[in-house]
Amino acid sequence: MCNRSVGLIARAIEEVGIPTTSISLTKDLTLATGVPRAVYIKWPLGHPLGEAGNRAQQRRMIFDALLLLKEAEKPGVLAEPGYRWKREKYPEPDWSRLR
Amino acid sequence: MAESKSIGERIWNRIFAIPIVTQYWAKRTARSESAQFKSAEIPFARLKKPLSQCRVALITTGGTHLKTDKPFDMENPQGDASYREIPGDAAPEDIIITHKYYNHQDADKDLNVVLPFDRMRELISEGVIGELAPVHFGFMGHIDGEQLPILLNRTAPEVAEKLKTADVDFAFMTPA
Repeated sequence: MCNRSVGLIARAIEEVGIPTTSISLTKDLTLATGVPRAVYIKWPLGHPLGEAGNRAQQRRMIFDALLLLKEAEKPGVLAEPGYRWKREKYPEPDWSRLR
Repeated sequence: MAESKSIGERIWNRIFAIPIVTQYWAKRTARSESAQFKSAEIPFARLKKPLSQCRVALITTGGTHLKTDKPFDMENPQGDASYREIPGDAAPEDIIITHKYYNHQDADKDLNVVLPFDRMRELISEGVIGELAPVHFGFMGHIDGEQLPILLNRTAPEVAEKLKTADVDFAFMTPA
């Protein structure tokens, strides 16, 4: 339900002209809701940015969401980076790509 | 405590946190809802300036609110479509999660898991993003039945207007 609510709130915000970028933990629900932009990640509910205390992982998720915000050309784009839960290394993103 | 989970609810949350279960449930729910939303065109706004000059607002459905605020309603099975404002200068220890429909032990340990204030402040000091908005918003995302039209017709548009008034350039959204 949380993921549908995110989509519906994001849509209301875009309606007034403010862009949004979302994390999604439920692919089909996010697609069905029609979310403007989302990074879908197959992780346990309650962990949109990953594990507690994992700064590199949290930064990577924010980077991916910001990149989508900058580069998506049409609504309803779902990025799927496919990071594995607790089995992934997160090198520092190239933040200059967001400039 | 505003949020007291029964053993059944705890077990349920554990089961639902397993990604394969989550995805199966999402697929089924999406099938029943696709007719409702898919026909409507997806609204799409664009950034008007470089990210390094943008003001960001964080919005989560993870049930976050100030400790001094009224907790979300955990009694109504249809959920609670209201929202809570979180000032941009709130300390992590001022914020608490009321949401019995997911296991938030990790988010309790590190709020950045659902509401990444610390990470955003880092990115602001690194010049990636411009600044934090003066106000951010917490919802409790378990919203269904009679509460759904309240979200759609009242609380979500209200938050959108507040973001506009606060000159927010983009919103960063997280579920739970």
